[in-house]
Amino acid sequence: MAPQDKDDDMPDFSDVQSGASSTAPAAEVHETYEIKPGDSLSKIAKRVYGDAREWKRIFEANTDVIKDPDKIFPGQKIKIPAKETEEGGEGR
Amino acid sequence: MTMKRHAAILVPLALVAGVACKKEPPPPPPPPPVTAPPTTMPAPVSVTTVTLGSAIGADKRVTAPSEAFGARDTIYAVVDTGGAGHATLRALWTFVKGDKTAKVDETTMEIDATGPAVNEFHVSKPSGWPKGNYKVEIFLNDAATPAATKTFKVS
Repeated sequence: MAPQDKDDDMPDFSDVQSGASSTAPAAEVHETYEIKPGDSLSKIAKRVYGDAREWKRIFEANTDVIKDPDKIFPGQKIKIPAKETEEGGEGR
Repeated sequence: MTMKRHAAILVPLALVAGVACKKEPPPPPPPPPVTAPPTTMPAPVSVTTVTLGSAIGADKRVTAPSEAFGARDTIYAVVDTGGAGHATLRALWTFVKGDKTAKVDETTMEIDATGPAVNEFHVSKPSGWPKGNYKVEIFLNDAATPAATKTFKVS
């Protein structure tokens, strides 16, 4: 199991689900995620979308910071595009 | 009598004609002043209010504002914005325990506002929210300090 970068006194919020939407047009929503030791794009995709094959969505949203999908580093902050069927929608 | 009558008619006509002939054509109207057209640049997007609640309506507004929630609630932060243009709104949700904090979630939304807009951020936790104090900070664009902060409690 990947080591957790958190204070033992503090609760675990790793299962928090989030979303956003707007009445304004062209709203684009993404979550910000900080890479932890042991993470891979497919692991993140599995956790966020429930499907590891969705790693390409995450990679394509972060080509400015990730050049090689096999090389991500702890501490990197990446965008996680919102789930398409997420509650509340994206306001598009 | 007839001569006098003709004279009486002709003299005023001559005067009128004379005046009419002397009158110079009016000067052309002055050109409009050369000034820049009035700029109607819309005000940039700004955060006006943030309202918390556990449900929103179709208009994305909180149906029952609250700052106290239950463990299974979905918590909404509805951000009213004014102004127009492209803007980035970021919601940073944090658990606060004494002087310690833990990041709960961070969601960013980019909007192209054409006027006042209602923007909602929401978080839920299937395993249940730990009891305690929380806050949500709303950041606008790249500002380092939040445009608005709301605290709430889960009990």
